[in-house]
Amino acid sequence: MRSETRVEDLLRELAPQILGALVRRHGQFGSCEDAVQEALLAASQQWAEKGVPDNPRAWLMTVASRRLVDEWRREGARRRREETAAMLEIPETGRPLAHDDTLTLLFLCCHPSLSVPSQLALTLRAVGGLTTAEIANAFLVPEATMAQRISRAKESIRSTGARFDLPSKPEQADRLRVVLHVLYLVFNEGYMTSSGPALNRADLTAEAIRLARMLHSLLPAEGEVAGLLALMMLTQARRAARTLADGSLVPLDEQRRDLWNHSLIEQGVALITRTLGKTSIGPYQLQAAIAAVHDEAPSAKETDWPQILALYDVLERVSPGPVITLNRAVAVAMVDGPRAGLALLGTLDDDERMARNHRLEAVRGHLLELAGDLPAARESYQRAARMTASIPEQRYLALRAARLA
Amino acid sequence: MKYMIMTFGSAEAGLAAKGKDWMVEMIQFMKNLDEDLRKSGELVSEEGLADGSQAKTVRFENGISVATDGPFAESKESLVGYWIVDVESEGRAIEIASRIVDFVKVPIEVRRVMDAPPDF
Repeated sequence: MRSETRVEDLLRELAPQILGALVRRHGQFGSCEDAVQEALLAASQQWAEKGVPDNPRAWLMTVASRRLVDEWRREGARRRREETAAMLEIPETGRPLAHDDTLTLLFLCCHPSLSVPSQLALTLRAVGGLTTAEIANAFLVPEATMAQRISRAKESIRSTGARFDLPSKPEQADRLRVVLHVLYLVFNEGYMTSSGPALNRADLTAEAIRLARMLHSLLPAEGEVAGLLALMMLTQARRAARTLADGSLVPLDEQRRDLWNHSLIEQGVALITRTLGKTSIGPYQLQAAIAAVHDEAPSAKETDWPQILALYDVLERVSPGPVITLNRAVAVAMVDGPRAGLALLGTLDDDERMARNHRLEAVRGHLLELAGDLPAARESYQRAARMTASIPEQRYLALRAARLA
Repeated sequence: MKYMIMTFGSAEAGLAAKGKDWMVEMIQFMKNLDEDLRKSGELVSEEGLADGSQAKTVRFENGISVATDGPFAESKESLVGYWIVDVESEGRAIEIASRIVDFVKVPIEVRRVMDAPPDF
């Protein structure tokens, strides 16, 4: 069992490096990606039985290259095959480039021409080394659907004519934002829809953290990469406490803090502390800082709300938006009283972007409850329960409403 | 995001009124639609249902459950088929529904499928 995990970890770590090296040599991202998947599969079977070879990277490179040649032979591309056969003689020297390759791959998989679901799927497969079946399982769609989505995504990349190169410096900031957003969504997909400490979709949060760690090691000076990684760790740390055994949600102020993962909190706090002030501030760093204040409070009562409010003030200046205002309203309520928070919420009532967001009504219900207006709180919880698209949340909100009846 | 796209009607009445050519076109339309959704990697599942006149509804009456003939709602139209699609946005789900409505000219209902952990 232990060695199986080690093999899987090693394979997933090598996957983007092998793929990067192959694409750099041969172009044809789509076929290379298929070949690497096949090599990973062969490795996970053979290495588990016979042990890990002395040079696992070279082993994977050889097997993946052979698959590519087979594929081209099947296509009858004789000329190409001969070229490839010649190239296979070249000794492996791509190592110093491996890191750049992984980064280039990430940018490619998060290409702006792809739909968001395609970016997620392709990143998990090509960079994360997950199989199509694993990805399909995580997103609860049939494997054939996911296979089609991935092959379509590869086709789109081919048709944009995107080259296997790092985007130009001025372009990189925008592209990095997309990459971070994709990793953030992978994390959320796992976090929002899983309950308890050890469930299937937990794999997605672990995978998002693994990829964010990798990205952070590639770009240690990027504050927002560090911020996102810290945010993920500080959120993941509360996972075991956020649901009960039956899957029902536990709000932050009622969570058993002894169930929090304190070593993960320490790592997250250390990372965000190291990062803040070193580079330009951004929304992930600020959200991580807010999560850190929550995680460091020994009890809900001892939460440093004035500091959280100050951080939200900065966050709202850096990246204004109705969701930030909504969260800031909670902090305002905790510092200046529920009525002040409700007044701020009122400014969102005419905001079309919030008209169908259940969280506005859920937060209003919470603040009305704090203010002692129980009938109005109940109505807000009920409206929120009708609007949410999450079953655990719907049950939680319906229960809150029923409790006030 | 997953959405359920539902068509309502009555197979009997619908088929009788439309005629053979329309039927052939309709079958081709549905085949093309399913094929496109499969190719785009958005189709989760799709089913057509037997006519509502064949439905049974099970109700709780006088302390026991009783099955009676007929669909749940007292209306001429009942659910005749659905697609579940996994798409980027609600806009995309509506775009798919619109393509069906443009062809069949009857209303379609689009409903978000809720997210839940698989063991829930």
